Amino acid sequence: MNNSIPHDSAIKHVSGESVYINDFQVNSQLLIGRVVYSSHAHAKIKSLNLSIAKQLKGVHAVLCYKDIPGINQMGPVVHDEVCLAIGEVLCVGQAIVLIAAESEEIAIAAEKLITIEYEPLVPVLDIRTAIEKNLLLGPARTMQRGDFEGALKSAVNILEGELETGAQEHWYLETQTCLCIPGEEKEITAYSSTQHPSETQAIIAEVLGINKNEVVVEIRRMGGAFGGKETQGNWAAAWSALLCYATKRPVKIHLFRDDDQIITGKRHPYLIKYKAGFDREGKITALKFEQYADGGCATDLSLAILERAMLHADSSYFIPNMLVIGRAYKTNLPSNTAFRGFGGPQGMAAMETLIDRVARFLNKDAADIRKLNFYGIETNNITHYGQTVELNRLHTIYDQLMASSDYRNRRKEIDKFNLSNEFYKKGIALTPVKFGISFTTSFLNQAGALVNIYKDGTVLVNHGGTEMGQGLNTKILQIAAAELGVGIDKIKVNATNTSKVPNTSATAASAGTDLNGMAVKNAIDILKVRIAHVVAAEFSKQSPQNKFEAANIVFENNFIFDKLLPHHRMAFADVMPIVHFNQVSLSATGFYRTPDISWDKLTGWGKPFNYFAFGMCVSEVVVDLLTGFHKNLRTDILHDVGDSINHDIDIGQVEGGYIQGLGWCTTEEVKWDKKGHLMNHSPDTYKIPSVQDIPSDFRTSLLQNAPNPNAIRKSKAVAEPPLMLAFATWLAIKDAISAVGDHKFEPQFSLPATNEVILISIEELKKKLKN
Amino acid sequence: MQATISFILDGKIQSLGFNEQFKPTTTVLNYLRSLANHKGVKEGCAEGDCGACTVVIAELNQNDSLQYTAWDSCLVFLPMIHGKQLITVENLIQYNAGEKRLHPVQQAMVDCNGSQCGYCTPGIVMSMFSLYKEKTPLSKENIEDALTGNLCRCTGYKPIIEAAARACAEIKVDQFDSNEKQIVAMLLQIKDQSKSILIDTTKQKYCRPKTINEALELRNKMQNSVLINGATDVALRVTKRHELLEEIIDLSGIPELKKFTKTAIDFKFGAGMSLENVKKVAEGALPALFETLAVFGSKQIRTLATFGGNVGSGSPIGDTLPVLMAYNAEIVLQQISEDAAPLNTEQSFPNISERKINMNNYILGYRETERKPKEIITAIIIPTPLANTIIKFYKVSKRKDLDISTLSGGFSILLKNNCVETITLAYGGMAAVTKRAKKAEQYLIGKLWDRATVDQAMELIAEDFTPISDARSGAEFRKLAAKNLLLKFWSETK
Repeated sequence: MNNSIPHDSAIKHVSGESVYINDFQVNSQLLIGRVVYSSHAHAKIKSLNLSIAKQLKGVHAVLCYKDIPGINQMGPVVHDEVCLAIGEVLCVGQAIVLIAAESEEIAIAAEKLITIEYEPLVPVLDIRTAIEKNLLLGPARTMQRGDFEGALKSAVNILEGELETGAQEHWYLETQTCLCIPGEEKEITAYSSTQHPSETQAIIAEVLGINKNEVVVEIRRMGGAFGGKETQGNWAAAWSALLCYATKRPVKIHLFRDDDQIITGKRHPYLIKYKAGFDREGKITALKFEQYADGGCATDLSLAILERAMLHADSSYFIPNMLVIGRAYKTNLPSNTAFRGFGGPQGMAAMETLIDRVARFLNKDAADIRKLNFYGIETNNITHYGQTVELNRLHTIYDQLMASSDYRNRRKEIDKFNLSNEFYKKGIALTPVKFGISFTTSFLNQAGALVNIYKDGTVLVNHGGTEMGQGLNTKILQIAAAELGVGIDKIKVNATNTSKVPNTSATAASAGTDLNGMAVKNAIDILKVRIAHVVAAEFSKQSPQNKFEAANIVFENNFIFDKLLPHHRMAFADVMPIVHFNQVSLSATGFYRTPDISWDKLTGWGKPFNYFAFGMCVSEVVVDLLTGFHKNLRTDILHDVGDSINHDIDIGQVEGGYIQGLGWCTTEEVKWDKKGHLMNHSPDTYKIPSVQDIPSDFRTSLLQNAPNPNAIRKSKAVAEPPLMLAFATWLAIKDAISAVGDHKFEPQFSLPATNEVILISIEELKKKLKN
Repeated sequence: MQATISFILDGKIQSLGFNEQFKPTTTVLNYLRSLANHKGVKEGCAEGDCGACTVVIAELNQNDSLQYTAWDSCLVFLPMIHGKQLITVENLIQYNAGEKRLHPVQQAMVDCNGSQCGYCTPGIVMSMFSLYKEKTPLSKENIEDALTGNLCRCTGYKPIIEAAARACAEIKVDQFDSNEKQIVAMLLQIKDQSKSILIDTTKQKYCRPKTINEALELRNKMQNSVLINGATDVALRVTKRHELLEEIIDLSGIPELKKFTKTAIDFKFGAGMSLENVKKVAEGALPALFETLAVFGSKQIRTLATFGGNVGSGSPIGDTLPVLMAYNAEIVLQQISEDAAPLNTEQSFPNISERKINMNNYILGYRETERKPKEIITAIIIPTPLANTIIKFYKVSKRKDLDISTLSGGFSILLKNNCVETITLAYGGMAAVTKRAKKAEQYLIGKLWDRATVDQAMELIAEDFTPISDARSGAEFRKLAAKNLLLKFWSETK
């Protein structure tokens, strides 16, 4: 398979011709939708006056909860989220009223004519208060193996502590968007920027009180999503559908950036408490994590995210006696949601923090402590939830990366630098990634496809996955071309559409290519068998002296031939009219379900993942001790994607994931004020990495000769795992701070490590040094 | 006076009047997105922080050839592009016998896998195109500087940097070179026919005078009008707060305000000089000012924002204010004055009076300055620093680039026998106004410039200020960093 073809939309992207939903040309009947949302984190709605707004010229609908024809319910898993507030609001940003008007200007004017009277209630705005008040979203979960308490008693050394990790705003460039077009009777077509068209379809049907077969959801591409459109794309969709249904006109909602940031949920902030016992060498023998997740005002995906956080509490390490307890809490913030990594990053951050502390405690290099605790190849290879870590690449990657990054020599150089510099310190760290691939809700691991071949030999591939920039459609194109033996110029991957492939899972959990690629292959396999029979019969007609069998027919380089008698060949395009003439269907659906996974949520034991993806990162920084600025001097990444389907796209995912993780670990700070208003609601104060923030020397490689037997064309999922490579930079910063106290004291540290966190940590260390 | 504007788009002169659909404060972004064939340009934030809306503007320079710069179209009111060529991502494509040909910067983005979701891509392509047309020597710094104003959430930027390096390594003749003569002729035609612009839609009055005199007269008549030049700050009142600005005087069409003169004793910057041009002048000559502007906004913002505009806004952070205090700069203010003698005898009317205010006396309170309603800032004068005076600028922000300061410091010191002869410690972001650390300054005068003295002075800085906690940082951090900046200054000047 030729590997690095460009993204299938690359030429359109650079020409400005790729069409996003907000770019659609709609007729002059189009109305602009607007959502009026709560300005209180927790309040009763005492009164709502919409009558004046309704009379404004150019306003076509002003809706509140009473105007919802179906069910006022949006919760994707637990039904605890109303579409429009009824008598109480639970967060700033909660939708109360919808407006459809002839222009944005009129909609804004109409909003000003609406009066909402609130009776403020006391909001809960942080996880510690939620814990105190015991505002659990669901029962506590436990995963354990061995005897933590017993092992702790016999441990030589014990460390305990806690880590706080911050929220993260998705900051997809394209804000939440949906355009709804009314059809005949109750029919509605929604062009929705969603990672989960089938769920968007279901939600629209439910709020409108119509059948799913009356709703079509289509999405060609999103301008980024990162988990933020897995469930929360449903909001703009349901709102515009309600307005469309009420006005019988096309309605578009494209959230303004600040509104998007205020309304939508973020990566869950976590508080994680840990207690660990370890021996003199640094081998951890007993470990307990208590994870506390801030779920925001509704369940959304918080419980699944918590589960993944617990499943990744081990990071890459074998801990014989391990206990993980997880709890998710309700607060008065917008409901936190999926974000690349889905809890994995929070769970792993605590483990990596612990390793870092063990190393400092024993005055050893953290890279050695990591190596010492890695899962083994033959032994010590069973996780705290019972799954065997098969095809463990950790040791191979470690050896290769330690050598290629010249870690040992650079560590010495850094120590020298730190001795002779008072105002600047350098730090270095290596951190691993082991990430489980599959939805942990096992039934979601299924996908569908519909492959149509037309009489001219061109192919239209439909699948249930969505394109959000990750290159899914490009990989699907490559898979289809390779399986059918035709050039990519003959194949088109269609916009994702619920009327083509129904009942799909979200494009999430990094599993887009694994699942949909297999479903497409399945459809193509079915078509190839059909075609092969026709071709074998055709060859037999042409030369009756030979015997042709469908099983010997192969598809390669735009030709179809008999592998035993290869001079009997026909062009792919020439065969299709013959197949049609023979009354054989050139359209097939495909299906795939991940085999061989089983997961018992109650016991916390089983094999939730199809396989693991691995990676590792070495990062070096210099910290300005007087301002807290750091510079990312050099970062080396070695990542495992199995046999890469598209090298350049995979590198793009790895680098992009690392930089997105870097943002979460360094400059991306989300703060709410005492009343629950988001303080960082635009890029003015919310700082994602810019071109200046990437490593001065940035080296990324894919692990070679590491085929994955468990996925399409021996590849591995990418997407999420690389995000957590950024812990190397985060802990390199901590290493540099630690140098202020000659690594004798544990610096106080949290995530993100903003220059504020860094400077205050340095100040604390200086105080300790003085005493 | 004329009520319409003219600019070039798609190779043709477009004349535009103003009505319900297009207001004088309609942004170029919204104008373009209303057209069927220019939807490549995207809104990512409507505040100039993401660059998804980047377009390139070609305009006549002094030699009547074209100069290309990248602008954030979300911040540009339509009348500001009068007399210029507006170039969008769609204009970079050529069709040869129906076959699509990409511009070298577009091709490089494809070849380097520089796009993932593609939403930021048109803006990035345009920033890269602007760099391509600058034809300046290529360096890593140049490339990064050209791309700082464009956020990408997918790629991690590396392939984008590679694409810029690849495309700009070898500048080929492109369709813009081939069409330059024709475009120049059209722009000259617009220029020759142009009068001052006055758009009056009954709801809004937008004036774009061509001379300072005209501007001062307008200002005299409309003292509550909003003065704009690059409008990078004022535009947010429209794009984010949805205000209807009723009276606007746009100074961006006045060539006199863009002049720079240097004498033996000072540098005189026209208030209408873009910060990007100020940065170019400052490079080498005024290093602390250069440092300030190197981390000021993005290239797109600096191209639009003007020196006078930044000083005029008088914001508490006001990135150039602390360093101007350190330079002991002066603000030149002019106004129409009935009683004053004519400034220039060649001008019979109007009578213009001029005064100069030292930067250190200019700020009166929160967004309140010495400038009177009738007055317009016409120039900023920086005295040539004495040979042994050391001036430095430090900025602390969450992200180093394209981020408003959490706090900043503009410091100057003159040492004699290693004792402090004079010192200025001006801080931004530490109070409601840009403010000097007076206690620390007074303590330091006459003292030995050593670590022990500085340690003492650092404690006084904590007394000089009571900063606030906000979205950017907590008060404790501000205090700590403010003290540290003095130590940093010492460590770099001892």
